[in-house]
Amino acid sequence: MREKLLYALGAVAGVLLVRNMHEIFLVVPDEAAQGYIYRILFVHAPAAFVFMIFAFVSMVASVTFLIRRNFNWDSLAVSITEVALPFGAINLVTGMIWARIIWGVWWVWDARLTFMLISWLMYAGYLIFRRAIDEPTQRGRVSAVLSILTFPAVVVTWKAIEWWRTQHPGPVISFRSGGERRMDPGMESALLWNFIALLLFAAVLVAIRMRQESIRRELDGLRREAHAI
Amino acid sequence: MDQRNFTYMFYGFAAAWAILVIYALMLVARERRLRTELDRLRNMIGDRK
Amino acid sequence: MRFFRQAWTIAWKDLRSEIRSKETLNASLSFAIVILLMFSFAFDPDAEQTRAIAGGLLWLVFAFAGALVFNRSFARDLPNDCLDALIASPVPGAAMFLGKSVANFALLFTLELVCFPIFGIFYNVRWTDQLGQLIGVVLLATWGMAAVGTMFSALTVNLRLKELMLPMLMYPIMIPGLLAAIQLTTDLVAGQPISAEKMVWVQLLLGIDVIYTALGVALVEIVLLG
Repeated sequence: MREKLLYALGAVAGVLLVRNMHEIFLVVPDEAAQGYIYRILFVHAPAAFVFMIFAFVSMVASVTFLIRRNFNWDSLAVSITEVALPFGAINLVTGMIWARIIWGVWWVWDARLTFMLISWLMYAGYLIFRRAIDEPTQRGRVSAVLSILTFPAVVVTWKAIEWWRTQHPGPVISFRSGGERRMDPGMESALLWNFIALLLFAAVLVAIRMRQESIRRELDGLRREAHAI
Repeated sequence: MDQRNFTYMFYGFAAAWAILVIYALMLVARERRLRTELDRLRNMIGDRK
Repeated sequence: MRFFRQAWTIAWKDLRSEIRSKETLNASLSFAIVILLMFSFAFDPDAEQTRAIAGGLLWLVFAFAGALVFNRSFARDLPNDCLDALIASPVPGAAMFLGKSVANFALLFTLELVCFPIFGIFYNVRWTDQLGQLIGVVLLATWGMAAVGTMFSALTVNLRLKELMLPMLMYPIMIPGLLAAIQLTTDLVAGQPISAEKMVWVQLLLGIDVIYTALGVALVEIVLLG
């Protein structure tokens, strides 16, 4: 039953992504100054939103695990962090490609980029850190703390374009600039649609990863049983 | 200049898709590995019993 | 009050053991001086270049040497099950964290006090023009580093690869603090006092100090005990 649901969600995500590709390339109007490259925004920004939302869920799952000590929360934390990483990577890579054209350089150390890179490195470190601890309870506990320690960096990444004058473009989406319309509504709608598509796709990946985590736990149990016999 | 602009946009989308596909493939590979290990262990325990 | 006395006991224990053996100080100090010298002959910067890179150079040296100090922080209690004894004692984890942070802070600050004159000599730089503000910035930034470093020392103490994992996890989190320290130190070493627009970096340092000390105090018990 759950398998079927996952497949259905995956199919919906796939269809949405195809629809969005059509919208991004053929429907959305041209931007005044940037040329074709600006269309990358419709992947760049949604990927960032997915990354940051997943970082938040990771923190919540970690806190809940520390309180409840139920390993399902630990599974959620590691799965959602692992899936967040490719989306963060997409954000960084598409951003760098855009920057090469618009700014002429691949990278600048402004607040938004620096903190996004730090956040990504920390979550990658979280996964490597987990590999280094064999005992499941200790692993869950300590990586939960690491996830909580990492979350402030993501908050700063989100707020960076408000708190500092950055080279990265300032807030243009209406819910960030206080309802003020700074972006063409057609573009905003495309942005939202692609965000939904990527989020759905990411959710399917998280579900698959969580199932793998429970298989791992079953494997641990079986190994102990095999040793005992 | 326009051509370069368009090419880089293509690179951008290609990179995004590539990253997603690579990660999905990693998940599939891990799934296969875990299932094999699971079957192996189950058989081993079954045999020993 | 008892809490602070316990924290101070831990701090003094660490410092006293360090004063007797001097192993961490020797190791981190030699490492810092060697890096300073190597940068000097690798890049051979002239006066203008040195003024531009002073902050970055110094704080990178402090960060690398700091990793050695933080690694030893909890690892020094591993032999003979000292760490288990400490955890089992009535001293709360938060007091242990504060105590060890204070000890690390003292060790790191000592190291910095030695490195500054050496930097001045080998790079031919007058760095004492804004000494008051410079010491203030160094104190703020060093406390931030100590809080983060001690926290990650606790996190990685039981791992096989702690010498590798500690720097790897610690440095990304330190980047904002290091950035602020570097910006401010470069200006101060060049003789310019902190301007109004650079005050935001000082605020960032203060924010980092408060947040990570609070997080450390709150979370270290979970890391050590479960």
